[in-house]
Order: sequence, then C-alpha cells, then structure tokens
Amino acid sequence: MTLKFHADQTEAQMGMQTEGRITDIKERYKGGVLKYKQMGYWRPDYAPKDTDFICVFRITPQEGVDTEEAAAAVAGESSTATWTVVWTDMLTAHEDYQAKAYRIDPVPGTGPGTDKEAQYFAYIAYDIILFEEGSIANVTASLIGNVFSFKPLKAARLEDIRIPVAYVKTFKGPPTGIIVERERLDKYGRPLLGATMKPKLGLSGKNYGRVVYEGLTGGLDFTKDDENINSQPFMHWRDRFLFCMEAVNKAQANSGEIKGHYLNITAATMEDMYERAEMAKALGSNIIMVDLIIGWTAIQSISNWARKNDMILHMHRAGHGTYTRQKNHGVSFRVIAKWLRLAGVDHLHAGTAVGKLEGDPMTVQGYYNVCRDSVTRQDFSRGLFFDQDWADLRKVMPVASGGIHAGQMHQLLHLFGDDVVLQFGGGTIGHPGGIQAGATANRVGIEAMVKARNEGRDILNEGPDILRAAAKWCKPLEQALETWKDVSFNYNSTDTPDFVATPTASN
Amino acid sequence: MHITQGQFSFLPPLTEAEIRAQVDYAISKGWAVAIEWTDDPHPRNVYWSMWGPPMFEIRDGAAVTFELEACRKANPDSYIKINAFDNTRGVESTVMSFIVNRPAHEPGFGLTRQEADGRNIRYTTRPYSTERPGR
Amino acid sequence: MSEIDLQQILREANIGEVLEQLDNELVGLVPVKQRIREIAAFLVVSRARQQLGIESAAPSLHMCFTGNPGTGKTTVALRMADMLHRLGYVRKGHVVSVTRDDLVGQYIGHTAPKTREILKKAMGGVLFIDEAYYLYRPENERDYGQEAIEILLQVMENNREDLVVILAGYKDRMDTFFQSNPGMSSRIAHHIDFPDYSQSELVEIAGKMMSNMHYRFDAGALQAIAEYIAQRRQQPHFANARSIRNALDRARLRHANRVFEAAASGASKPTAETLSTITEADIRASRVFDGGNGSGKGKATQS
Repeated sequence: MTLKFHADQTEAQMGMQTEGRITDIKERYKGGVLKYKQMGYWRPDYAPKDTDFICVFRITPQEGVDTEEAAAAVAGESSTATWTVVWTDMLTAHEDYQAKAYRIDPVPGTGPGTDKEAQYFAYIAYDIILFEEGSIANVTASLIGNVFSFKPLKAARLEDIRIPVAYVKTFKGPPTGIIVERERLDKYGRPLLGATMKPKLGLSGKNYGRVVYEGLTGGLDFTKDDENINSQPFMHWRDRFLFCMEAVNKAQANSGEIKGHYLNITAATMEDMYERAEMAKALGSNIIMVDLIIGWTAIQSISNWARKNDMILHMHRAGHGTYTRQKNHGVSFRVIAKWLRLAGVDHLHAGTAVGKLEGDPMTVQGYYNVCRDSVTRQDFSRGLFFDQDWADLRKVMPVASGGIHAGQMHQLLHLFGDDVVLQFGGGTIGHPGGIQAGATANRVGIEAMVKARNEGRDILNEGPDILRAAAKWCKPLEQALETWKDVSFNYNSTDTPDFVATPTASN
Repeated sequence: MHITQGQFSFLPPLTEAEIRAQVDYAISKGWAVAIEWTDDPHPRNVYWSMWGPPMFEIRDGAAVTFELEACRKANPDSYIKINAFDNTRGVESTVMSFIVNRPAHEPGFGLTRQEADGRNIRYTTRPYSTERPGR
Repeated sequence: MSEIDLQQILREANIGEVLEQLDNELVGLVPVKQRIREIAAFLVVSRARQQLGIESAAPSLHMCFTGNPGTGKTTVALRMADMLHRLGYVRKGHVVSVTRDDLVGQYIGHTAPKTREILKKAMGGVLFIDEAYYLYRPENERDYGQEAIEILLQVMENNREDLVVILAGYKDRMDTFFQSNPGMSSRIAHHIDFPDYSQSELVEIAGKMMSNMHYRFDAGALQAIAEYIAQRRQQPHFANARSIRNALDRARLRHANRVFEAAASGASKPTAETLSTITEADIRASRVFDGGNGSGKGKATQS
C-alpha cells in the first residue's frame, strides 16, 4: 500500500467518492463516521483468492438500508470494522484484514412481487490471515461473532462457506472416519443400524442395559444414549457405563459380531468429560458420544482425546435447531457440518428427510455430501453454493435419527446410500413383538433392501414389495410394517432450497 | 448359534444365483472380489485365510463361482465370505462382505468375565471352535 | 408354442451385422466365411431347440482355428466372440488372447494359479490360445504344460456356459497336438481352416490397409507393391497379411523420410497430397527387390 495525500482534491471528486470506496487516505481517515462501502467493505471488482474464506450470507436489510451498504456492513462487522473510523487501521495492512463483500444476488422468491420481504445473498471474502490455524472457535468468533445482532439488518443467516484448502489442512478432522470405523467394526456395504434408548429418562442402569442388550442381540450394530442422559439421580453415569458394557459384550458373544453403545460423556466440565471418556475406554467401549452444546473448544479437545485413544466420536447435534432451522436468520446446518468435519467428529446427526424432525430431502442430502465427499461440488438445488475440496480429510458418518421405521427402508437407502447410521429408537423399542423383534425387523429390512438394490432392482418403486416379500418369512418385519404402515411426517420443511432445478431443453 | 457378520446374515442363505448377482454388482462397480475362509470367526479375527489373491481383472461372476467352488471343496465345514474392494482414492477399503458358507454346526462363543478394580469387568470373547484343535 | 421363427432370432441378435463387418474387414477367406455362416446357423438352431425344450445342455462351442500366420485368425476370433455374445452363448463377449507363457509357470506349483488366473479373466468371453501346441512338449516329461492342459480340459468341460476356448496355430502342428491329446481333440466342436491369401487378395489387402491409414498408392507404387508381393510370397517367413502390414510400415517410414528431406532441402513444400501418397520409390527401396537396400533412396522425385 502506498500512502498518498491529495490536499487539493476537488469537491466533485469527493462527491463521487461518497458513493463508493474512498481511496484517498486523508478523506478515509478523517475522524467521524463513514459508510461501510466508503471504508472499502464493498468491492464488486474483487476476485477471491484460492486462500480466501468465502461466506455467503442471506441478509434482510432494514427498511431504507441500501443493499450494498448492508452487505458491506456484514463484511465490516465480521472482520475489522467498528462503528467509526479509527486511525490505528493505518498501522496495519488493513486492506488485507478487511473482509470484502463482492457480490450480491437477490434471493429467488423474495422481494417485490412476492409475499416475502426482499432478501439477498451477499458473498463475502476473508483473507486467511484473519484466522488462527486449527481453531473453529476463532473462525466462529469472526464469522458469526457480532454480525448477527447488528441493527441495520433485520436478519442474517450464514448459508454456506468455502474453506480454503490451506486452512482445511490445519485440522486433523474426524478421529476415525468412515473407512476406519467400518474396518474396526468389520461391517461393510450396508448402512449401520442403531437405536436410541427409550424412555429417554428415568430408567435405572440395570433396566437401561437390558434395553441395550435386547436391541443389540436382535441385530442392531449400535445403541445410543440420548442427548440429555448424563448423570441424573435415577442413573449415575458409572452405572450406565458398567451395565451397558455388559450388554454390549454379551450381545457380541451371542452374535459373533462387533457391537457398540454410544456412551454419552457430556458433562459440566472438560475434566468430567475426560473422566467419563477414560472409564469408557477402560471398559472396552469402541465409541463415545458428546452433544453439540458442549461448544467448539470442548469438541476439539475431546476429538483429540478420541484420536489418541482409538475411540469413535459420536456427535448428537442437540441445540442446533435454535439457530439452523429458520431460513432468514442463523447459521445453516451445512455450515455447522463443515465446521464439525474440521473440528473432528466421526458420527453426526444430519437429518432423515422422512422422519419426525425438520429436513427437506434435497437440503438434507446436501448435509450428507458435506460429511462424506472427498470434494463437495457446487449444487444449488441441494443448497451447496461452492465447490469444497476436503484435502483428503477423513469422512464423517452421517446419522439419520428421529421418527423413522422399517417401512421407510427403501426411501432411506435410496436417499442416503450405504454410509449412514440409520437410527430407529421408537421404531425398535416400540415394536409390538418386543425390542429384539424390533431390531430384527430393521436388520432384515435393510439387508433385503441392500441385496435387492445390488441385484439391480428399482428399490424406490419396488421397495414396499421387497419388504413385503421379506415379511413373508420374517414375522417381526411383518409386524413392524403393519404397526407403522401409515406413519409419515408430511409437514412442510422450513429450510428448503432456494434454487430448484428446472428442466432445460436439450437437443 | 448363527453368526451375523456380513451384509446378509439375517437373510436365508444366498443361492448360487443370488451370490452371482452380488458378485456381478461388485464387478460392474470395478471392485476387486476376494474369497476368504476361516474356522475361527471371532469378531476381531480380522485376517481370515485368503483363498488366492483378490480377483482384479475379471469380467464375469463365473470367475468367482469357479474359485468359490474350489474353496468350498477344500474347506467344506468352514466359514467362507466374499469381499469386494474399492481402490478409489478416499475409500481404498472393503466395500462389500457377505458370508456364503457356514459349518453345519456353528459352535459360537463364550464370554469370560474377569473382575477388576471397583466393579470394572474385563471381557474376553472366547470361540468354542478353537477349543478342539486339530478338528 | 411349437413354432419358432429362426429369422427372428437371427434378426434380434443382429448376426447379419457381424457377418457384414467380417466381410468388410477381411478380404477373401471365402471358405472361412462360409464356415462361420454355418456355425451361426448352428447357434441359431441350437437356441431355437433350447427355447422349445428339445435341447437342454449348452452345446460345446470350443473351436480350433488353423492356418499360417497372418491369415486373419485373431480378427475372426474377435468377430466370433461378438457373435457368441449376441446370441447369448457368452455373457460379456471379450477376448483374452494368450500364448503358452501366459499359462505355464517356470517352477513347480506355479502353473495352476497362472492358468486359473487367465481362465478367470476370460470367463464371460473367449479365451484365444495362439500356437496352442506349445503347451505340449513330449520331449520333456516333466514339462508343466501338461498341467495347464489338464486344467483347461476340466474347465472346457465343466464351465461351457462361462467361456469358449479357441485354439489357434499351424495346421500340421495342431494335428500332431490333437493326436497326442485326444481329450483336447474330443472337446473341440468346430474346426476352421484358414487358407493362405492369393496374390490378388494380398494386393487388395495392401490397398485396404493403406486407405485405413489414410494413405494412397500412386500408379507406380501400385505396380511395385504387386511385384513386391509376388516376390515376397516366395521367400521364407512369409506371414500373409502380417508381412504386408510390416512392408507397408517400412514404406511409410521411407515416405516420411523422403518428404522430410525434400522439404528440408527446399525442393518442395509438403502438401496434403504429398503427405499421403506412397510412391513407387517408397516400395522399391525394399530389400525384397534385387539391388538390395536403399537403391531408390535419395533419388525420389515428386510425383
């Protein structure tokens, strides 16, 4: 940067500059308040570098706020700016530290002529120098630190992020990853099956372990603590761990197959979590679990522990709905999924599309891509704004959990493929023939469906027939299909793609 | 006792035609197909004996049936599984695995518990099949 | 259903297309083409008999192609595999072409895995064994070739639906081979003998090869190549079409050299015409003609 002072600047020149970026240093650093655009946060000519972060924010400006100024404000508030001009900027290569809004697109289906107020996608580039290596805490402190409370915006949502490869490489990623997890479990070529223990609360350790044992013996690969099972009065965590591991080992001997139970080690302090993790390890568990609400720093710490101790790390995304669900404000789950892949988790609840919890099928597939791709490709219909090269970072096993049952097996396999944990909680434990029968129904259902798919059958359309054929010799599956035949959750999703693929004429 | 390792252990035993269909699927994906066998199916017995090297350049499932028949003839009362391997960057691992032969009697496993400090227990899964060496 | 439409089977399998391709690819070989038509008819009829339940077992389809080198055996094998595939006698229709070295090992225990490996690759298609008689070496009673033959025989018998084996080689040596290996002989269902090409067929082949490579002969070259062929046929190690291909490859080298030198010396600039025309000199420089090596070299003129 060169400093130039033009004392003799004309009024006309200055008038022009108030519309855009002021390059004249004297004017730029005159005390007072300037627009963010004038301070250089709106740079329509800027071409992002390969080493830049790129964020796309969905913004809803307050009435009367200029769109470009709103985008510039987001760039400013998420990087170096404060509400007024500070001369100390001149002590730095401040142009590099400034985030740069460089592109604004109106969001389809909003603004004049629609029933929604105008929204815009603002693309903002951030220089890599802004971020500490290997720290999601630092990334989030910048990108979602202050900006979401900023008054000139009615609402803002971080839709997607392109993380430069150079920064991706500063993370170790998932401690285990899909490939190694399968090799440890000796389970290939089909989705894994799990179940969350129900009721969520109140079971004693001994009763709880019984549910684990029945589920695993019936044919599940995993069972799972729920997110809010920690160490309450009805079940101390040590009891839970001891009884669950008895169940796991017994089921393993009965079936000759590796089994696991996600022991939730979420606790008040990091020290408590380490203590519980150590106990899980001492008992021979192959997997532990934490909740998203423990926070980024704790996640990265426990990820390091899991990597050092050959432990699969399951992440329950408890709490995410508070900021991911509403389309106009918050952070998209695809961004959370990207950060979690870097921070390093092995399993991640990423939606079911067909179950009881929020999730449009295309949008959910986008999250799965983020978890499992070597290179995630731009795909607007799945909400993916950018190509994302993961630089060989290990892959996260997505988990589909919440209101799913055996009758949906064909849809689940069609939507998500093999690399997923399908978790049937109620859909196992609520089976009229008992927990083992519920587990068997699910296992037979998925095996029959995988076999049929490999044989070249069109499972999406023939799925119900395939399940009925298996139900002829498998009573538990027959009962499951009968019990839940009419259960579906056909509510409109709130978080749907803004772009819909339109058929184009091809000659 | 019925060991439930592999993709299809909860289904009725696959027929020759069904095995062939799965193998043809693997070949159509460009995966190498391998046959492995053992008399000790301990869940952590990772390395079953290879029945020859993985078949990398075969075009038709008949090649696998050909080897499977030979393996069955040599080890009739053993566990035999078929694996498929994908060498795509980022995978480079087994992507299919299913049992195609079992002994007439599956002996199963015992669970040994060793009481340790506190209420901790150390578990050992013991295959009954290895208790009769030389069988 | 007791009636069956043979024409329909033929049409559905598009066998006409294969025969036509064969006609286009291969000059002459009238008796070979006739035999292939017969085999095609046999396959179609067998298919019909199977459909009506008259025949249950798959027919043995292993074949033997005899003839001198360069008479089109490999090309016919490719078309045969295609035909077998279209009629549903092999599932994939590829050809795996091997010789003794691919099947027989150097030391004990090496041969069986090698042979099985090749058989597995060929399954679903055709295994073409060139100079198959080298598998049998009676002069060495511990030769591992016998082991390969035994495995081959077993698979030819038990896996008829999985692959078709074609043995190829010189007629006389193949006959001797069969005499010593009656098991092999009895498993070969179809024998096709490939005659040598006539003078005029070889000239036609030369023209075809040239046009396939986007070259042409000028009038002098055409005369020269006819003379070349006439002389070359009388010489030892003549390998029919293969010898023609080799001769033309050398002529193309000489042509390139000639055009290059003419351009370098400034005598002429290459045009599309000169770049694709083989002249008499390019042919006559061959050692096959009296006067030996290089008689025409450097004296080439633009035609």
